[in-house]
Amino acid sequence: MNQHKYLRAYMAGLVVPTIVLVIGVTAFCIARYGYGFSMPLERVMIFPMAVVPPLWGLWNMLFIASHSRTHLPIGFHGALLPFLLGPLGILLTVALDFQVPGFATHIFPVLAVVGLIAYYLVWKYVVSFLNTVLGLT
Amino acid sequence: MSNDEINEEMKELLKQAIAPVKDSELRHDLWPQMLAKLEEQPAIVPAIPWFDWALAALAAGALIFFPGIIPALFYHL
Repeated sequence: MNQHKYLRAYMAGLVVPTIVLVIGVTAFCIARYGYGFSMPLERVMIFPMAVVPPLWGLWNMLFIASHSRTHLPIGFHGALLPFLLGPLGILLTVALDFQVPGFATHIFPVLAVVGLIAYYLVWKYVVSFLNTVLGLT
Repeated sequence: MSNDEINEEMKELLKQAIAPVKDSELRHDLWPQMLAKLEEQPAIVPAIPWFDWALAALAAGALIFFPGIIPALFYHL
């Protein structure tokens, strides 16, 4: 079980965003085709589909690689990821000329706090559990 | 030689080649041992500190009062 440590770390990191992606895409399809929701979300769908899961995997690899030196708890390590993903997501919406709804800018402070809490808890309990299952920690 | 005859001959050859298994029955029920083994390994239930519960409650409250953040969370998670 000592082989391919970083591959296992990458795979453990991928699990959560992959599951969330399936739920999100399903909700989007129901909203779009069932209720005629008109926002062109497919234009920015590339971000949660192609950017977020690999970054989670890479972030977990970074945790495994650096933990022996930094001793940073995994929850705090995970809570740092939104500081990378947030600007990337905003950059992509601007680059793809996606019109962010007005309410989204008003609730941004709440979103930032809830996002940090969500990342902290998910990394502390779910990713940590997956790392244990895969014999990484 | 017909197919049936070939099959019969093949069965005989296989019976001759593979000796019958002797004493194939279990000597005793293995399930109690399995249960004991399972009980040796306690389930991993992490102790969740109170401030994590508080954070989860805060996040849940925010999601209830500001449901508009749910799509944005899906976008970033």
